[in-house]
Amino acid sequence: MIHDFNYLAPTTLKEALDLLSQYKDDCKVICGGQSLLIILRQRLLVTEYLLDIKRLNELNYVNFDPTEGLRIGAVTSHRAIEKSDLIKEKYRVLADMETKLATIQTRNWGTIGGNLAHGDAAGDPAPVLMTLGAGVKVGNAEKERIIPLDEFYVDLFDTALEEDELLLEVQVPAPPPRMGAVYEKFNLLASDQGIVAVAVSVTLNDDSTCKDARIALGNAASIAIRAKEAEQMLVGQKFDEDLFEKVGETAAENCDPVSDIHASEDYRRHLVKTLTNRMVKRAWDQAAA
Amino acid sequence: MKYNVVNTHVHNIDGVAKVTGRATYTFDVKVPGMLYGKILRSPHAHAKILNIDTSAAVALKGVKAVVTGKDTLGIKQGIWRRYEELCDEQILPMEKVRYIGEPVAAVAAVTEEIAEEALDLIEVEYETLPGVYDPMEAIKKGAPQVHDGVERNINVTRHIEWGDVEEAFEESDYVREDWFRCSGQAHMCMETRCAVASYTPEGKLTVWTSTQAPYYHQALLAGVLGLRESDVRVIAKFVGGGFGGKFELDAAQFCSSVLSMKLSKPVKIVFTREEDFIASKRRTPMYYYVRTGVKNDGTFMARETRVFTDGGAYTGMGATALYLTGFFHSFPYKWAGYRYDGFRVYTNTLQSSSMRGFGAPQAAFCSELQIDLIARELGLDRIEIRRKNGHTPNYEVPGQATIASCGLRECLDEIEKWIESRGELAPNRGIGISSYGFMSGGIFNWFDTPYSFSSAVVTINFDGKVDLHIGAQDIGQGSNTTMAIICAEELGVRMEDIRVHSGDTDECPPDLGAWGSRQTLMAGNATKMAAAEAKKQLLEFAAAQMGPNIVYDLDIKDRWVHLIGRPERGLDYFDVVKSALRGKAGQRIVGRGYYTPHRKGMISPAYSYGVQALEIEVDPKTGKIDLINCVTAHDCGQPINPIGLTGQLEGAISMAAGYGMLEDQPMEDGQIMNPNLVDYKIIRAPDMPETEVIDVETYEPEGPFGAKEAGEGLTNPTAAALANALLDAMGVAVKTLPITPDKVLNALREKEEGKKE
Amino acid sequence: MEKHILRITINEEDYELFINPKTLLVEVIRDLVGLTGTKRGCESSSCGACTVILDGMTVKSCSVLAMQADGLEVTTVEGLEKDGELQPIQKAFLDHGSYQCGFCTSGMLMSSTALLAESPNCTVEEIKEGIDGNLCRCTGYNSIVRAVDAVAGGKYREDKE
Repeated sequence: MIHDFNYLAPTTLKEALDLLSQYKDDCKVICGGQSLLIILRQRLLVTEYLLDIKRLNELNYVNFDPTEGLRIGAVTSHRAIEKSDLIKEKYRVLADMETKLATIQTRNWGTIGGNLAHGDAAGDPAPVLMTLGAGVKVGNAEKERIIPLDEFYVDLFDTALEEDELLLEVQVPAPPPRMGAVYEKFNLLASDQGIVAVAVSVTLNDDSTCKDARIALGNAASIAIRAKEAEQMLVGQKFDEDLFEKVGETAAENCDPVSDIHASEDYRRHLVKTLTNRMVKRAWDQAAA
Repeated sequence: MKYNVVNTHVHNIDGVAKVTGRATYTFDVKVPGMLYGKILRSPHAHAKILNIDTSAAVALKGVKAVVTGKDTLGIKQGIWRRYEELCDEQILPMEKVRYIGEPVAAVAAVTEEIAEEALDLIEVEYETLPGVYDPMEAIKKGAPQVHDGVERNINVTRHIEWGDVEEAFEESDYVREDWFRCSGQAHMCMETRCAVASYTPEGKLTVWTSTQAPYYHQALLAGVLGLRESDVRVIAKFVGGGFGGKFELDAAQFCSSVLSMKLSKPVKIVFTREEDFIASKRRTPMYYYVRTGVKNDGTFMARETRVFTDGGAYTGMGATALYLTGFFHSFPYKWAGYRYDGFRVYTNTLQSSSMRGFGAPQAAFCSELQIDLIARELGLDRIEIRRKNGHTPNYEVPGQATIASCGLRECLDEIEKWIESRGELAPNRGIGISSYGFMSGGIFNWFDTPYSFSSAVVTINFDGKVDLHIGAQDIGQGSNTTMAIICAEELGVRMEDIRVHSGDTDECPPDLGAWGSRQTLMAGNATKMAAAEAKKQLLEFAAAQMGPNIVYDLDIKDRWVHLIGRPERGLDYFDVVKSALRGKAGQRIVGRGYYTPHRKGMISPAYSYGVQALEIEVDPKTGKIDLINCVTAHDCGQPINPIGLTGQLEGAISMAAGYGMLEDQPMEDGQIMNPNLVDYKIIRAPDMPETEVIDVETYEPEGPFGAKEAGEGLTNPTAAALANALLDAMGVAVKTLPITPDKVLNALREKEEGKKE
Repeated sequence: MEKHILRITINEEDYELFINPKTLLVEVIRDLVGLTGTKRGCESSSCGACTVILDGMTVKSCSVLAMQADGLEVTTVEGLEKDGELQPIQKAFLDHGSYQCGFCTSGMLMSSTALLAESPNCTVEEIKEGIDGNLCRCTGYNSIVRAVDAVAGGKYREDKE
């Protein structure tokens, strides 16, 4: 049974931020609640105040500008991202990722902001957004700041958010030409969390050598991480399947997966190797097309 | 045979209730003055209970009672009532706990939340004892003893033997031995275990509970509570799944009853999903050693099998699982010599008991995989080797059982045709097959009931509507509909003329309930007999009215009472009913029926058969298996309810495929590590293969209209077919369940390394 | 802890309730309003037995704070029939035997209803995805997929008119 709390339901962002600066750590923020409610029900968390920001429609939007890129409000649901024509057109990989995230019921009510702020190492959006060079805009009653997603995660369920800050917006740079971006997770059942997950973006030069490569891993460490050493192996190179295999091996060596009842550390590393190899190739093919 | 109602497309009679939200389950029951109960559970796998201090919990506002073992009669109960030594469980133990999650106390309070809070206030002093968690460890000398006086923790042994096994091995050209490991499995019913118990001052106890067998619970509760059996009323509302896990006495029923008897107030206990995982029952995990001898032409000669099962903390139905696994491990083949020795071993873990298949899925996995390995070694066709040795109609399993109807051969033919039709498979794909045979209810009366195994009463009202009272329990498998079909067919009326009454021990006759695939055959026979009895009375009146030549018989078909052979001469059923009732001093026409198997051996009155083919695709880089197609040719005698049958098959596939590749309960020192639906994985819609059912019709003389079971046997082959499909696709055998991707990958790696050498 | 007023419409009936804000939507539906067609089968938001339609979309009512439904409309399984007339999806379930124990059925019906509303001509793949969030232990799902497919294929169109 959930422990009693005092319920706060601000109607504006300003009100929400003021309440947050007032109550700080005594206050937990709920949006869609798809992660938080399970934790509250199991009494893993007790909070004096619950700040409900689900109604803050001013944070519910998907906007695109050819120079600035994509801006998604924190309260935007996963389902809205999944179904957005704009996102399907410009950032296909985000829509694809959302189709793999949990199940429809969860996507209908859960939000991108809630997901990113939760900081689950197995979360789907973070690795994908990392490969797109994304950042998050966070703010408190006084000011706002932008944090690159690569720097947003500190530890499992621990982010760079201060106790009086809300995650406000996800910012994704405009996609460069000749970029391919893909996401794959390995699980036993379609709607499961990934045993591991791999996101890759590859940007090609005009001469089809690799201009930029980003590889991000989900559930291969306590937080979503970039496989930077593996990425560097691709820059300046041509399409080479043997290279991709080595890239996979490097990514596997440089992650820190756990052993649990679902998979051993060894098997997770093997999956990282296999998936990275496959996804690099797939992203490259997409970029070249 | 063409029937009017049997084997036609009928709606399930509970359908409208279920698709409109009107169906109420024990989970939904709310009665005036009802209290909420919660159970305090042991955190230790093995410990003495030194003291339980409930005073702080009792003092909490809103708490009405707290009970422990001291508040009970301390009776050790078990479902094998005939054997006292197997009645080994005090549900609220008085002296020690034997598994993590075992109840030690129960609270009743005005809200669920207060009851939960009260649990934290109960102080239990334990003296932990060393525990043992694996049967192979538990049988060692010096291992901790789970129950006093049970040497080496060997709880039950079983021995099955026929023929001269040694000689048969000597006559074999090829002998092979293998070790296998079969996992457990959770029933994972959508409705968790739950009960509402209400005891009243006149000394009567009513228990609403999610059960497969109201009569069993009536008798078991009366036994442990010191009540007269008939003063206990068990009511099953709609039941949200059973699968073998809901016919033994559980803590929801027991604790709510004890609390209610103390307060004379209704008490409701609903297991959380976590409690359901850690503290109900599970499929029996087994270690299998199989040694098989065959001739070069594939004739099966000898098999010698030794099985150790992980029994968990108490016996329950585990004794039956031990026997059936050994018996069905020989199925469906003829062996010159067969020997099975089974050992059930106590461990400090969740008790293992009965789950759909009842030891036969484990038996099939080990047998069928080895048979394919043998066939490959000898270069024999896998269908042909099965055909050569398969059971045939009227075969006698020496000293064990007589098979009457058997459609195995036709099933093999159908599967062979299907495999051929698939042609050459895409890369990384394979097809695996498995045969099976299974029982239609058990004969051995370990419950020690004096009642017929099944009973039914048919009552015909003035308007022709028929009340069918049965003890058979519908748990979703559709037995209400099946019995209505049988009743309508026999009586010669329509489905809409039948009203089924079940699930209430006050109103319905005793029946052993829905387990062991017994209801279609046993309750079906009882229903058929009752309908025939009632029909006989109607026909007497019809004959009196019609006055036909004595050489003619009468019958009723589709509401038409007529002369057989001269069907144009007849009377309307409704008219006959009216005159019959008037002719009986205004009494409704009543027919009684019952069935207990006689002179059919000690195992089962009839056996169903089948062959399943499973097509899979393997990702050789990750080891992941995708299920593509599943075709099952099966013989259940005469199908009674075809929609129900397809449902049983498809449901069986999802459960059995889960057993084969997904479901497991890993433990650490007796602690189940995945007691939730995130970590315990069960098959969902996108994971199901395409399914096809091929009915092979036979006629089983012992069954109603020739019918046998369909639903449990169908869970037997899939894990085996999966293992064989992997063997076919990639040439590797995985001999432990579940067959997870990492095991496949390891097997592939070993094969590669083997090639390099 | 302060209680709050919740104004909610369930199956076209308006309710005004005074609740502890930690109350879950499923508790309002089942315990306060008494509509027990919606079930609960787990504590981890995994099984989908509690699925209802909230503000036009399916949600797991065990994982939505009731206060978040303030001012919104909810449809539960009891709200599908109109004056005793069953919806095509309910008829299709009956015809195809798409239920056994029935405990998951309400959730399946709500997920199917929402899917058909969004994609009236959904494919089999989309149907399987549409009920991916609903666990069933009895049927093996295929009969449910066949029922939704029949409705999507227009088999019950005459009934609607």
